[in-house]
Amino acid sequence: MIRRPIPRWLVVLLGILGVFSLLAVYGGLSYRQSLVNEKQKVIPGLQAFGDGVTRMTAPQGSEETPKPSMLVTDLRATYWRLFLGTGLGVVLSVVVGIAMGAYRWIAAPLAPIISFLAKIPPTAMLPIYFVLVGSDQTMFTTMVALGIFFTMAQSVYQSIVNDVKDEAIDKAYTLGASDPEIVYEVIWKQVLPPILDNIRLQIGPAMIFLLAAEMLVGAEGMGYRIRMESRVLNMSIVYIYLCILGFTGLIGDWCLLWLRKKLCPWYDR
Amino acid sequence: MHALEIRNLSHWYGTRRILNKVNLTIAPGQIVALVGPSGCGKSTLLRAILGTDPPSEGEVLAEGRLVTEPNRDVGIVYQNYSLYEFLSAEENVAFGLKLDKTSLISRFIALPAYLRKRREHLQMARDFLKKVGLEAAMGHYPAELSGGMRQRVAIAQAFILQPKIVLLDEPFGALDEATREDLQLMLLRFYQENLKAKQRGERPQYTIIIVTHELNEAIYVADRVIGLSRFHTEGSQGAMVVYDRPCPVFHPDDPKDLSKFVEQREELRSAVFDPNYVKHHSKYVSFWDELSNDALAVAAMNSR
Amino acid sequence: MTKKHWIFVCLFGAAFAGCEPSNKSTPNSTGSGTAGTSSAKPATFTLAWSEYPSWSVFGVADEIGLLNKEAGKLGELEKKWNVDIVLKGVDYDTCLQMYGSNTADAVCITNMDTLGPATDRASVAILPTSTSVGADACIAVGVNDLEGLKGKTTRGLERSVSQYAFERILIKKGLNPKDYPFSNMDPGAAASALQTGDSNVQSIMVWNPFVMQTLRDQPKSKKLFDSSEIPEEIIDMVVVGKDSLAKEGGKAFASCIVETFYAINQRMADPKTADKTLVAIGANFSSLGLEDMKQVVQQTRFYKSPEEALKLLSSEEFRTKTMPAVAEFCVEHKIVEKKPSIGFDSADSQVNFDTSFLQAATSGK
Ligand SMILES: Nc1ncnc2c1ncn2[C@@H]1O[C@H](COP(=O)(O)OP(=O)(O)O)[C@@H](O)[C@H]1O
Ligand SMILES: [Mg+2]
Repeated sequence: MIRRPIPRWLVVLLGILGVFSLLAVYGGLSYRQSLVNEKQKVIPGLQAFGDGVTRMTAPQGSEETPKPSMLVTDLRATYWRLFLGTGLGVVLSVVVGIAMGAYRWIAAPLAPIISFLAKIPPTAMLPIYFVLVGSDQTMFTTMVALGIFFTMAQSVYQSIVNDVKDEAIDKAYTLGASDPEIVYEVIWKQVLPPILDNIRLQIGPAMIFLLAAEMLVGAEGMGYRIRMESRVLNMSIVYIYLCILGFTGLIGDWCLLWLRKKLCPWYDR
Repeated sequence: MHALEIRNLSHWYGTRRILNKVNLTIAPGQIVALVGPSGCGKSTLLRAILGTDPPSEGEVLAEGRLVTEPNRDVGIVYQNYSLYEFLSAEENVAFGLKLDKTSLISRFIALPAYLRKRREHLQMARDFLKKVGLEAAMGHYPAELSGGMRQRVAIAQAFILQPKIVLLDEPFGALDEATREDLQLMLLRFYQENLKAKQRGERPQYTIIIVTHELNEAIYVADRVIGLSRFHTEGSQGAMVVYDRPCPVFHPDDPKDLSKFVEQREELRSAVFDPNYVKHHSKYVSFWDELSNDALAVAAMNSR
Repeated sequence: MTKKHWIFVCLFGAAFAGCEPSNKSTPNSTGSGTAGTSSAKPATFTLAWSEYPSWSVFGVADEIGLLNKEAGKLGELEKKWNVDIVLKGVDYDTCLQMYGSNTADAVCITNMDTLGPATDRASVAILPTSTSVGADACIAVGVNDLEGLKGKTTRGLERSVSQYAFERILIKKGLNPKDYPFSNMDPGAAASALQTGDSNVQSIMVWNPFVMQTLRDQPKSKKLFDSSEIPEEIIDMVVVGKDSLAKEGGKAFASCIVETFYAINQRMADPKTADKTLVAIGANFSSLGLEDMKQVVQQTRFYKSPEEALKLLSSEEFRTKTMPAVAEFCVEHKIVEKKPSIGFDSADSQVNFDTSFLQAATSGK
């Protein structure tokens, strides 16, 4: 029967089983590959992972001028870019989306352009961003920001169109609201949960754009490292980095869900 | 001073004329029922009064002030979209106080003062909610309230600002019969408060236009019934007020004696809803004449 | 929760599907290798190549029917050697990965990049195809000489021949590479940054076609130096895994590749087919026309005959200076942890320059 409920312990058990079978499948593949070539680094075993971790976390630079390890350098670079880029993109798209939702004369010229640009994969626009914003640090930020801006501005605008009824606005006027108050007290409060959900959904794409940009022009960062290490087939490092990225996404997800519960207790009722 | 005055109001959608020279004055403290065939323009008229959809011709004055856009002089309660779902019941009621009595900037830069005011507002909101019988659910969000509770909160939300007039557009349309009667009684209690205020020589607080498709409800809760219809000699030119007469005023404790309705209901039905009964539009428009005979006041007092 | 579980299951499937093909080709080729004692059923070998003048030769060979890139279909020379060669035309980085993961039996690769995979997969260099004499260049805008470049960052692909050439040439000129910062950037992206006047990119170290394009499309650009200062140090070649070479038909595979390469070289020498072949080679390489391609093949000097190739591999310079220096560089830049052993016609080396196929080709004439 579809959707037949299953007991809690079974859910947990099956979940754990899933993870273990994933590991088992990996182990099997790794073993099979080492039959082909015992020194293979493509599907590394435990030993290779150990070496990878050692290499990643070893401090760099010389005695006099020690530099942080590969991992720390990359994490710092990537997360700072991700944070700046997503932050900028979110702020911009919320401002523009709300402005469009509030004023028809803003929506009229912008909506067609934004919905068109939202359809173009941002990674395909990379070369254009190089031309427009150069290739230094600001490029990563802009890349991520613009990458999520169009889709998110459009969905913020759509949520306002769908969720904020004319009646809600008219009524606020009858309760003595000014225009800024309508924007903040009615529109913003109403669409905050979809905005938070949107940020959650945009973390993935933001990481894609950032990693793609880093692979091309980064001199540090996770995308740079993944390209460089996979070029010389140090896959253990690549896989660890991929896991870190996966967990980043998961944690970001949880944080935003938690934030939504805190800020919008009404939303889940 | 009239609570509401409508002068020669006409409205077109494209080339189609919906409303034709509607004239109407409403005194403070009246509960006016607005009835009419579906699609005759009742909501259009309400939107004109509210100011969201200004009339093509003519003007609307709320206590002498021209209405050109929605403002705090005219309140509204919708049938479906009744509350802000992101605010709890008490916050919904206090919402108007917040918007009307404090400014957005002061809420941020003068936070302590605002918080003090906010406490007062919430107390006022809770007091009002008590009056409409919603003590138990004051902290609940709209999604956790039943339809009837939501409409009570919406009515409290509209009245707490003491606007000149409040428009109710089929407010009880989606409710079951029992809930509906509870809410009707609530309006009758408001009317009693109006009468007491008048006796004290104060301005009555509750002036209402209620649109309803239930003729019994119209006669039961209102002290005056207005019929809007195209069924009159100039009907092709749009709807006009074809019926405007006082109706019996009930006390909340009186039994709802349906026999008292029968005659007026039949009169209404033919005057407003019967396409074959075409007459001059002013035939049943007699409210102010009857009022000048003091009939209404007498009727109101008698009902006690 | 049930839904989540399904996601796991799907991920799983995806992991399976993703890994499967990388394993397939090896057992595949082993299988056909052991079965292929009879001449009826040729063994299958995979060559991964990327677009580069002396490697696009294999793409052209497929176009004119000397080889057939598909499995199960044989071109002229494949028939002759009774071997089924599968050509995979992919990105250079992908080539490295395919070779390193045993997905390809042979790969088109530079001498420098051979060292990395060789530490895990003993490799045999069977055929040097060309050397860079100007195909890698440092180009700058607003900087006129090396004095002016001091302290300014040059962008190019790290841990690649670009960085190698950059440092080697500076050293050769008696300069200290520490004074000339080098920072990572994809060569295509670096070239377009310089062409569009990105103020952050003043100097780039890239390879062709980016060198020619940049010099052509950015009038303000100036070539500071190029790989003609280190001729025969950057060698493009074809490398076969020692394991693959040892398989049934492995030698025929190597011989077939060598013969194909020289067959196309002959067409480039023959006035009747020269231009056509050159254009065919350039077609996928870049949007360069005949005249540009003529310049390209000068900067990417082909080893047109087995004799030329043998001359390189037997030179003392290459054996005792170039390859050790390249290995040194790789260790220094953490491209490899440990130097692989490099040998010439010595089967035990991790990187073995095997001249037997070239020698066979000379006598074969
Ligand atoms: N925005 C509009 N544009 C065009 N026609 C409208 C619009 N709103 C309402 N109408 C038409 O005007 C007439 C009156 O509508 P309405 O005032 O909603 O009637 P009701 O008396 O049922 O509330 C209807 O025939 C309706 O189709
Ligand atoms: Mg209506």
